[in-house]
Amino acid sequence: MNIPSEMSQAFVICVSAIFTQNILLTYFLGLCPFLGVSREVKTAYGLGLAVIFVMTTTSVLNWLAYRYVLAPLELHFFRFILFIIIIAAFVQFTEMVIERYSPLLYQKLGVFLPLITVNCAILGASLFMVIREYSLIETVGYGLGSGIGWFLAIMAMAGIRQKLAHERIPRGLQGPGIALIIAGLMALAFMGFTGVLQGQ
Amino acid sequence: MQAESKNIIMQGLWHSNPVFRQVLGICSTLAVTNLVLNTTVMCLALLFTLSLSALTVSILRRLTPRNIRMMVETLIIAFYVIIVDVVLKAYWPDMSRSLGPYVGLIITNCIVMGRCEAYANANPPGRAFLDGLFNALGYSFVLLIIATFREVMGMGTFMGMALPYFSGPHWDKWIIMVMPPGAFFMLAIVTWVFRSIGLPKE
Amino acid sequence: MREKKWFPVVYMFLATAFFSSVVIGFTRLTRNRVAANEALALERAVVHVWPQTRAKAANAAMVHQLFVEQATLPDEATGGAYTLRRHQGGTVAAYALPIAGQGFWAPIKGVIGIAADRKTITGIAFYEQNETPGLGAEIAQVPFCRQFEGKVMAPGQTPIRIRRPTVHLSENEVHAVTGATQTCTRLERIICQALQQWQEQMAYRVHKKDNEQVP
Repeated sequence: MNIPSEMSQAFVICVSAIFTQNILLTYFLGLCPFLGVSREVKTAYGLGLAVIFVMTTTSVLNWLAYRYVLAPLELHFFRFILFIIIIAAFVQFTEMVIERYSPLLYQKLGVFLPLITVNCAILGASLFMVIREYSLIETVGYGLGSGIGWFLAIMAMAGIRQKLAHERIPRGLQGPGIALIIAGLMALAFMGFTGVLQGQ
Repeated sequence: MQAESKNIIMQGLWHSNPVFRQVLGICSTLAVTNLVLNTTVMCLALLFTLSLSALTVSILRRLTPRNIRMMVETLIIAFYVIIVDVVLKAYWPDMSRSLGPYVGLIITNCIVMGRCEAYANANPPGRAFLDGLFNALGYSFVLLIIATFREVMGMGTFMGMALPYFSGPHWDKWIIMVMPPGAFFMLAIVTWVFRSIGLPKE
Repeated sequence: MREKKWFPVVYMFLATAFFSSVVIGFTRLTRNRVAANEALALERAVVHVWPQTRAKAANAAMVHQLFVEQATLPDEATGGAYTLRRHQGGTVAAYALPIAGQGFWAPIKGVIGIAADRKTITGIAFYEQNETPGLGAEIAQVPFCRQFEGKVMAPGQTPIRIRRPTVHLSENEVHAVTGATQTCTRLERIICQALQQWQEQMAYRVHKKDNEQVP
């Protein structure tokens, strides 16, 4: 089967963004909602899905903005402002659309959308995309992979914390303390994936 | 006035410490805590951004319409962050490359946005500036503690200078400290220690 | 006035215009410095890979001077490499080929020095890398780079190989950095790709020159 090399490169980037270069466990992005909203699997599930959607789409939108607006005008430093505006506008727009066309979906996901605007992982994915000079297809792979990786991490964390809710944890460690230790152990576990893909 | 200022200082440094109490805004700096020098620069950048953003937001608070205030806050924060980024690129390019995208991520740092929304919006400029300044200092000292442990135990150096025992043959460098899990564990331990100190005796 | 419908829009516009112009003005002021910094990083790397210039590169001013005097800019005939000429317009004494690719954390950019025989490596230097300090970042340090001096490219797909730290080396191999497998694997790929491409281009040039009819 003749897969064009760019597609396979995008696939490799996607898989590595999920496991070996997990945006949360390796690059520490998106920690605030991760520590704050991960007590229950149900809420983590909704937030995670919303993140996958927003991250993939905004990465692509930001790529287009960078390539066709900022680069020709040589306003590279403007990317910070422009990317955030695009993310905020897109989230606002999505919230309006969901509310209009699917009240059920809005009930499940809509609450999380404002939270996502300040999720550093979304902006971070776009900034990394610029630094690494990805092409459009690679950006799609990267955005999707990062989102899925973040989703995996928060689901695992929520699952573990739900189980821990009935355990006796020292008072100083309750809440963020134990969550960070779990995160550390997860980061350690994910490091085991290094080398699974050829040279990734 | 004196009591209010003292209250702001203690809140920012200890009682509502951004790192171990509020657990906010750590994403941007945790990644660079493997070296004390990088952490220092990041914390200075945050100090500059937070205090001046809080000051600017406070000065403009009576003029800004309520429904666009978050966009204006983002604009102000981004403004100061870009200045930091440009200054670093021009005068310290090696550090700019080491910090990578994390300087830009100060914009989404929950602490900066949080203090602007919670305090600077409703308080006079002098107090807003103090609040921003001491929140940033409270943030910085905890992260510097983490960075010290990570660099000394993981690489045997401090600020790039080799330490007598830790660089020698008897100390087996804890490589885990230099990698992501080390950051999580160190932060967890520091949070545990500081929270336990603050706990009322049972 | 705050309550009027148009006020938020005008306010936003004015605020954006004000802050943007300050930032743009600031960037313009520092633009030359930033460009000079980036150029200097590349120049330092090029000067460091040639033994003839390495010893004299004491500070930034010296680096820039050496580069301007001694290095010839890349062109078609050199396959994209900077060249060190024996004297003005003379034969090539050494090449400096820029290499670039994706490292573990961020892009790695460097320069690899090749002798006039187009096979022996004179050195390697990096001007951009952002790998883990103490691990991957060691590739930019002197001990690792020193290994490349005098190595000879092998024919075939992998002219230079980066092997495990304990293995006995042959003349086209160097040791990896302990605990930095990912960075070294990617670096090996970056180096081999660049060298192979360059060798093919140079071989094509020589072949073309030999076959050209003299009018």
